[in-house]
Amino acid sequence: MKLTCDQLEHVLSELLDGESDEALEAAAGSHLATCDACRVVVENTGHLRRASREYGRIRLPDEARDRIRQALTSDE
Amino acid sequence: MISVISLFDDLADGVYTLAFRLLRDRHLAEDAVQETFLAILRGRAPYRGDGPLAAWVYRIGYRQTIAIGRRRRDIATETEELARLDDRTSPPADAAALERELARRLDTAINGLNPTLRAAFVLRDIEELSTREVAEILELSESAVKMRLARARAELREQLEGYLSEAHV
Repeated sequence: MKLTCDQLEHVLSELLDGESDEALEAAAGSHLATCDACRVVVENTGHLRRASREYGRIRLPDEARDRIRQALTSDE
Repeated sequence: MISVISLFDDLADGVYTLAFRLLRDRHLAEDAVQETFLAILRGRAPYRGDGPLAAWVYRIGYRQTIAIGRRRRDIATETEELARLDDRTSPPADAAALERELARRLDTAINGLNPTLRAAFVLRDIEELSTREVAEILELSESAVKMRLARARAELREQLEGYLSEAHV
């Protein structure tokens, strides 16, 4: 199996999420070995996922946490 | 027996993140968190044991968030809400300037996503649920979730071009 750049971008999420099969992974590896542009896309998507995990979460403010916890406790 | 307080302690930030990212209003998002755990406490959406507990909680949280969003269209502006993002989990106060800039731009870019893409992205890439769990929460097929994720990541990658180097992450 050979992949074009468009095809690689189409299956990129599946590859990064570990949801692809071995044949697709091998084909992607062959393509990436010779395509600098796609390698940058793969690397940037990996960086995006790490940044999302690190910075994407928003903490419930303490005042709200205490208030809701109190409501749950009194309702329990 | 499930301890609601224990679930709240484990998942309040996650449900709040989902609600805030979708509603873009701190007070509405707090309401969504409270309604979610009160619904669990009052047994309005019993756990059937057919999947992970966390996914079940997020599913209730998503439904509460959508219900609140439908009831309240007069949400605050994006700019006002972005100014309130000092309650985020990270980056820490001493984070490098480049990291803070990346975090700020990531917020703006996530907010700019179509809500249908945003929900899939938040659950998969921020809350780190599996594609299957995201599909169940959003009541979509797994292939639809994959498609939304691919579009969301492509849009964010484009928006953040120049900020996604190894040095920034």
